[in-house]
Amino acid sequence: MIRFVAVRLLQTIPVIWVIVTATFFMVRFVPGGPFTAERAVSPEILRNLQAHYGLDRPLWRQYLTYCDSILHGNLGPSFKYPTRTVNEIIAEKLPESIQLGLISLGVALVIGLPLGVLAAVKRNTWVDYLCSSFALVGVCVPTFVMGPLLILVLAIHFGWFNASGWYGPMDRVLPSLTLGLVYAAYIARLTRGGMLEVLSQDYIRTARAKGASEGRVILKHSLRGGLTPVVSFLGPAIAGIVTGSFVIETIFQIPGIGREFVNSAFNRDYTLVLGTVLLYAVFLISMNLLVDVVQVWMNPKLKFE
Amino acid sequence: MDEPEAKIRVTTPDTEQGHSLWSDAWHRLRRNHLALGGGILILLLSLLCAFGPIFSQSYEEQNLDLGAVPPSLQHWMGTDVLGRDLFARTLYGGRISIMVGLVATFVALTIGVTYGAIAGFIGGKTDAAMMRLVDILYALPFAIFVILLMVFFGQNIFLLFFAIGAVEWLTMARIVRGQVMAIKKMEFVEAARALGLGRRRIIFRHLIPNVLGPVIVYTTLTIPAVMLLEAFLSFLGLGVQAPMSSWGVLIKDGSEKMEEFWWLLVFPGALFSLTLFSLNFLGDGLRDALDVRASKD
Repeated sequence: MIRFVAVRLLQTIPVIWVIVTATFFMVRFVPGGPFTAERAVSPEILRNLQAHYGLDRPLWRQYLTYCDSILHGNLGPSFKYPTRTVNEIIAEKLPESIQLGLISLGVALVIGLPLGVLAAVKRNTWVDYLCSSFALVGVCVPTFVMGPLLILVLAIHFGWFNASGWYGPMDRVLPSLTLGLVYAAYIARLTRGGMLEVLSQDYIRTARAKGASEGRVILKHSLRGGLTPVVSFLGPAIAGIVTGSFVIETIFQIPGIGREFVNSAFNRDYTLVLGTVLLYAVFLISMNLLVDVVQVWMNPKLKFE
Repeated sequence: MDEPEAKIRVTTPDTEQGHSLWSDAWHRLRRNHLALGGGILILLLSLLCAFGPIFSQSYEEQNLDLGAVPPSLQHWMGTDVLGRDLFARTLYGGRISIMVGLVATFVALTIGVTYGAIAGFIGGKTDAAMMRLVDILYALPFAIFVILLMVFFGQNIFLLFFAIGAVEWLTMARIVRGQVMAIKKMEFVEAARALGLGRRRIIFRHLIPNVLGPVIVYTTLTIPAVMLLEAFLSFLGLGVQAPMSSWGVLIKDGSEKMEEFWWLLVFPGALFSLTLFSLNFLGDGLRDALDVRASKD
């Protein structure tokens, strides 16, 4: 297994390199620059600024400098927030997104798993239709409809929560519910599919024939195999959920990193764009690796190659 | 072009013979009321959006004296702050949203199927290199990719089609590659090769028609994904520009003003979700219907 993980980590290096390189040149070819503002700065100041950040040097030199600095773990200074480095911005905002992400993930699992199992066990009954329809609601009502609707009803009409803000524990409820419902829906659908597949296997029939109770058949015999699709989904999902959601963080005014993914591109904050892209890529790749390891552990038929 | 060839008939299921994959699938789909209902609803909604604006009130005519009024007999969904009829705007927005969904999916379909089929058919190092590229593209946060494309090319609706399509083809490529690899060793491909057909002809005339099942299923599920992406871009202000409108734009405007004018959010949001609902039901139904492993229960 150590060999497997080591090989995979080695394969990651060229992938990360390509991502950094592609993003680096892609953002540079976008018209406009970090200092293009409504109030244009005088050419002299602009020249000074560009010299300060090394933007006046040839692109390939800047690229090499950047590569060198990220190898030292330094993501560079932000252009939009002049006194801050990208490392500082990530260190400040990522924890908020991770916190929201983990709560949402908890919500998603607590709602999604039981619904999916229930739908599979009661296949083609009204219970199944109810669970499956609920799952589709989560998939089909986008967060930018669900979020405002929850605010409209629970915060404005009933006054149970603040409409936006990120201070006390109560402020976590609506955002994590909005975000969690989407993932709950996917998890419920995948669980149902996986469980249906497993429940039709011979070894389940054997277990039943041996007189195992229905609860035991589901919990002990089916769940492990039935959750395989959910586990593969959770890899990319966790990477996405903990790096923040632009929509949720905008609607609920949360100071997370998700907003920077989009805003940095709008601001042409080159280093911050690269920093967030790199952050996401690293999360995604490690989560996928973790998923592959967990899957071998869950499914004895698989082997590390 | 008139040489004889073993063309596989996919578009006209032969009901007299009965038991082709396609006629079986059609029978199964017809029994799935949810999927069928979804299909019919989609058809109705598309027709309504396509032809409704001809008969309804103008979507851009402003009536500032009127302002935003709640739903009434005259304005079924109320009006927005500029006094424009929301029903007309929702239909018109649906037109754009559905069109983006269809065209962008077509772009994604074309790229994904071609790419996947070529990678799967050629195999070896070419395949490995092509699929690594897909892996890398998967690891980019796609919102950024689309934003860069949009910012780069300016806000042109045709570029929106292209940008979204260029993003959504990856999964399609993977699916098609897997399928092609599974069937390329079969006798009919051997036969085609023995007849002296070129690679291109084998890929496009023989392999691709035989992987259409999964492709159709995934296409029905791509359309809602694409429409969501369009709405997300509109939410960022990068999508369709005024005075044109899409469901995404309407939802964005509505969510900004919902505290006073709830109908601005609720109606476009409901119609949008209803469309996604129907497409998903149809897609799920098609998947069950075309899944050859499914037993006939």
